[in-house]
Amino acid sequence: MIEARSLTKRYKELTAVDGLDFTVPDGSFFTFVGPNGAGKTTTIRMMCGLTPITSGSLEIAGMSLPDQVADVKSVLGVVPQESSLDRDLTVMENLLIYAGYFGIEKKLARSRAEELIEFVELTNKIDSQPEELSGGMRRRLLIARSLINNPRLLILDEPTTGLDPKVRRSIWDTLQDLTTQGMTLVMSTHYMEEASELSDIVAVMDHGKILSSGPPDELTADYDGSLEKLFLSMTGKEHD
Amino acid sequence: MGAQGLRAVTPRWFSVWKRNAYVYAKRWKLYALPPLAEPFLLVFALGIGVGSFIDQIEGVTYLVFVSAGLIASETLLRATFECTYGSFFRMTYQNTFEGIITTPVSASDVAMAEIFWGATKASISALAVLLVLAVLGVFSGPLLVLVPLIIFAGALNFSSMALIVSSRVPDLEYFTFYFAGVVFPMLFLAGTYFPLSRLPEIVQSAMWLLPFTSVVDVARSLIIERPDSMIYWKSLYILVSTVVLMELAIRSLTNRLVR
Repeated sequence: MIEARSLTKRYKELTAVDGLDFTVPDGSFFTFVGPNGAGKTTTIRMMCGLTPITSGSLEIAGMSLPDQVADVKSVLGVVPQESSLDRDLTVMENLLIYAGYFGIEKKLARSRAEELIEFVELTNKIDSQPEELSGGMRRRLLIARSLINNPRLLILDEPTTGLDPKVRRSIWDTLQDLTTQGMTLVMSTHYMEEASELSDIVAVMDHGKILSSGPPDELTADYDGSLEKLFLSMTGKEHD
Repeated sequence: MGAQGLRAVTPRWFSVWKRNAYVYAKRWKLYALPPLAEPFLLVFALGIGVGSFIDQIEGVTYLVFVSAGLIASETLLRATFECTYGSFFRMTYQNTFEGIITTPVSASDVAMAEIFWGATKASISALAVLLVLAVLGVFSGPLLVLVPLIIFAGALNFSSMALIVSSRVPDLEYFTFYFAGVVFPMLFLAGTYFPLSRLPEIVQSAMWLLPFTSVVDVARSLIIERPDSMIYWKSLYILVSTVVLMELAIRSLTNRLVR
């Protein structure tokens, strides 16, 4: 689904992403894990066409970025780190208007929106404004919105940051439902536990580089199954 | 890097324009009624109040003279407010643009939609002023039908200029510099409320560089049915400067959003 070769992003003096090579197979759950400033969000932004690539190559679903950016974005679902829900619109309107950006026909958009609102258990909030929802509900609505175009690839940037453990669990359940449906997911997180629990493949990042990647069980075999200990041994520092 | 500026805009921009129009329609009483009340106030204050001290200006009553200024001012202010505070709010505080540009809609499309939305909202207000003045019998004539074209071209121009500023300021507070340094001098000195010829020549020349001056002048010549020989050149200047400002605004907002 994704092929990145020597993927690099530089901002003047700062190299935010430094020559990443990685492959995300179809139907897998791939996670970038690392501390703040590791380059996870920049990598995710490049995948979404929100940040220009300085050098290297990036292919998603056989299409290359940035040349085919609009085609790539039509098969993506994106759950951003900060809420970008439309505060001028209700829950239902958020999904319907968003469907319009993909050129989805109105009738189809409405039936898809109804399904998704049910999937994320917001049926009784259909006419609420985003500010009337709790943090967890807003995150679930963002997930529903990201699925409106029936994406092949779902990208999630820190999807559970700031949520309490119970709500985080419910988001995990939702994401696991999606993987069982065969969707490819790419997530960034700074929660090691979240990465271990959900992912088929984990890429541990620091200072813009992938330090190690593979299935969490294999990566942590020599570290009591702990990504924290793996991170500590590779960087010599505690993960925040 | 692919196409930039106007060449990067796709028909998808219209979906964002529709989003803004939908929100406007939902709250039309809140958004539309205050601007509709303004024309009445302006007619009373400037036309009847100030106008009672002035016999005639350039062969017409003060109310007729100033009406083109009122229409152009309404266009300038509405377009500017929408594409400064309105666009900035959507971009920064509401993260609306960030959500949109992860879809096939590009940053260039968003910029185009904001410019056209600012122009739409400004044109609605300015046409309301035109309509009120026409209904009150302040002016009439066949050339009036051309005024909406000038209003819309001007509105695109002022929206683009405002969007360039919005895409470059770090915070809302900085808009006060734009209003104090650019918008208000333009508003008061471009022949809006008194003939431009009353100003020193050097100021007059400087004012003609601003498209707003041409918008006021062309609108006035159509309203008083006295188009001069320069009307085509002034109209062309409005159009060309609009295209240039749109190009700059689209590039500028794209640079802000895709970074």
